[in-house]
Amino acid sequence: MKTSTVLAAALAAGVAIAATHALAQQTVTLMAYSGLFQERYTAAVVEPFMKANPGIKVEFFGLPNSAQMLGNLRAQKAAPQADVVIMDVSVSKAATDERLLVKIDEASVPNIKDLYPSTRIPGIDGVAVTFDNLMLLYNSDAVKTEPRSWMDLADPRYKGKVAFNGMPDIQGLSLVLILDRARGGTDYLRSVEKGIAAAGEIASNVQTWEPKPEIYPVIVSGQADIGLGWNARAQVNARVSGGKLKAVLPQEGSVFQVNTINQVANGPGKDAAAKFIDYALSAEVQKSFTEVMYYSPTNARAQISEAAIARTAAKSMDKVIPVDWIALAKVREPIMEQWRRKVIPLSR
Amino acid sequence: MSAATSVLPAAAAPARRGPGLPLVALLILPIAAVNALGFLAPVLNLLRMSFYEAQATGAMAEVYTLATWATVFGDGFYLALILNSVGVSLAITLLTLACSYPIALYLHRASGTWRTLLLVLVISPLLTSAVVRTYGWIAILADQGLVNNALAAIGLSRTRLMFNLTGVIIGLTEILMPYMILALLAGFGRLDPRLEEAAATLGAPPCAVFRRVVLPLTLPGIALGSLLCFVLAVSSFITPKLLGGGRVFLLATEIYDQAIVTLNWPLAATLSILVLVVFGAALVLYTRALRAML
Repeated sequence: MKTSTVLAAALAAGVAIAATHALAQQTVTLMAYSGLFQERYTAAVVEPFMKANPGIKVEFFGLPNSAQMLGNLRAQKAAPQADVVIMDVSVSKAATDERLLVKIDEASVPNIKDLYPSTRIPGIDGVAVTFDNLMLLYNSDAVKTEPRSWMDLADPRYKGKVAFNGMPDIQGLSLVLILDRARGGTDYLRSVEKGIAAAGEIASNVQTWEPKPEIYPVIVSGQADIGLGWNARAQVNARVSGGKLKAVLPQEGSVFQVNTINQVANGPGKDAAAKFIDYALSAEVQKSFTEVMYYSPTNARAQISEAAIARTAAKSMDKVIPVDWIALAKVREPIMEQWRRKVIPLSR
Repeated sequence: MSAATSVLPAAAAPARRGPGLPLVALLILPIAAVNALGFLAPVLNLLRMSFYEAQATGAMAEVYTLATWATVFGDGFYLALILNSVGVSLAITLLTLACSYPIALYLHRASGTWRTLLLVLVISPLLTSAVVRTYGWIAILADQGLVNNALAAIGLSRTRLMFNLTGVIIGLTEILMPYMILALLAGFGRLDPRLEEAAATLGAPPCAVFRRVVLPLTLPGIALGSLLCFVLAVSSFITPKLLGGGRVFLLATEIYDQAIVTLNWPLAATLSILVLVVFGAALVLYTRALRAML
C-alpha cells in the first residue's frame, strides 16, 4: 500500500514536471537525410527557426535514406516519435497510402499558397520542399573536354571508368527515362525499350553499378572518371574539391528528383510541427537553403542570388523532362526486369 | 590409453548421471527466453510480413496474400538467386577451407610463444570490422591497386579483380579465414602427433599418413568450420555490396535492395525466410555428416 502511494506521488510529480516543461518548451523532431544535408539544413533552417521561436526546440534525426525513414514511421505507427519528415516523393506516396501522414493544407501551413503548382502532388499528404536534378559528373583531370551528351558515357575511352547507381536506384531509372526520350520514346509508362537499349550501350563501360560510399568521392579520387549524381551534392562537392569534380547538364535534358516535407500523423509536436513546416517553405528560408546547398527552391517567391540559382536547374527548366514518379512506381518492376535481362549482362 | 579416453569423452558420458529435468529446464530458461525474444519473435513477425500485400507504390497493406511467395517461386530470377547464393557460398567455403587448413594444422602442432604469437596473428583481423577490411581489399584489387600495378610492372596486362564475382570471393575468403581456422583448431582435438608417428613407423608414406590418419581425425573440425563459413557467407552482405559492383546477385544483397531501395518489405521478408531455410538445410547436412563420422 505504502509503496503504491509513493509510486503514485512520484508519478504525479513527474507528470506535473513534464506538463510545465511542455508549456515552456515544445519539441519538434525532424527526420531527414543525414550527412551533408543535415549539416547544411541545420545551419540554414533549423537554427534560424529556433532563434525565431524560442519556445520550440527542433531535434534533427538524421537517416541515410528515405526508405529507412519510412521504416521508422512504420515501426512507430502506434506511438510516433517524429513530427516532420523530409523524404523522396515516391516514399511519401507509400507513407500516405499507409495513413502515416497528415494532409498539409493552407489552414495549417499558409506558405503553401506561394509554392509552384507542381509542388502539390495529387495523392500525397506532404508538399515538395526541394527539387534536385540528375547531372553528368566528371573528373576534370581525366576528362579534358566537357561532355555534352549522356551517351558520352558509352564512349570507348571511358571503358571501365564509368560509375553510377544502377537500377533499382532512381538514378539508374532516371537515366533510362532520359535516354528513352532522347531516342524517340514517347510514353515511359508504356515502354522504355529504347532507353533500355541505350543503357545497354553504356553497360560495357561501367566499372561499378554501386559506387561506395557514394559517387562524389569516387569521381574526386579518380577511381572513376565519369558518372551520374544529384546536382545539389555535386555542386557542394565541386566547390569542396576545388573544381576536380565538375557537373554538367547534358543536351538531352534531365529529370527532377523531388523531396517532400511531411507531417507525421499523431506526432508528439502537434501544432509546432505545422509551424516548422510553414517556416521551411517560406521564401526567405528557401532562399538561404538554396544558397548553401543548391537545391532548386519550391517557393515561387524565393529571391535566390544569381550565383546560387545558376548552380541549380531552375534556370534550365525547359531541359527538365516531366516525370510522374507516382505513376512510374507501378511500372518500376517491369522496367527493373528489363534492366536485369538486357543491361546488367552487357556489363559483365 | 589416456589419450583414447580424452579424445572420446562422449563414450564415458552415459555412465555419469546427468542433472535432473527441473534443473536442466532452469538452466536452459535464460537462453530460451533470450532466443524467444531476440530471434523467434522477430522471425515469426518476418514470416507474417511475408504474407502482407505489397502495393505498387511501395505501400504495405496488412492484408494476407500468397502473391509474394508465388512470385518468388514462379520467377526464375529468384530461384536462380537462391542457387547462385548457395553456389557462391559453397565455393567461398571450399576456398576458405583450402587456405585455412594448412595454417590450422601448423598452429595445432606449434607450441609455446610461437603458437601464441601465430594465434594472435590469426585472430587479429577480427579486431577490425569487415567494412574496413573490405575497403582494404578495394585498395589492393583496384584497377590502379597493388596487384594490378605489380602485374603491370612485370609486363602482364591488368585484369579486373573487383566489382565482380572474383572480388567478392577473394574478399570473403580472407574475411572468413579467422573463423575457419578457429573452428578447425577447435575440431582438431582427436589429432595426436603420436598416431602420425606410429603410422610412419609402421611404414606409411607421408601422403598415406595424411589421407588415412590426419584427414579422418580432423573431419569434425572441417565440418564445423565449413558450416560456420557457409552460414556466414550466405548471410554476408557488406562485402558483396562493396566488392560486387552491382554485378553479383546474392540473396543478402537482394534483401537489402528490396527493403531499402524498392520498399518491397513482403518480398524482403520472404527472401529472408528462404535464407533461414537454406541455413536449416546446411545444419541438417552438418549433423548427418557428424553422425557419419563418429
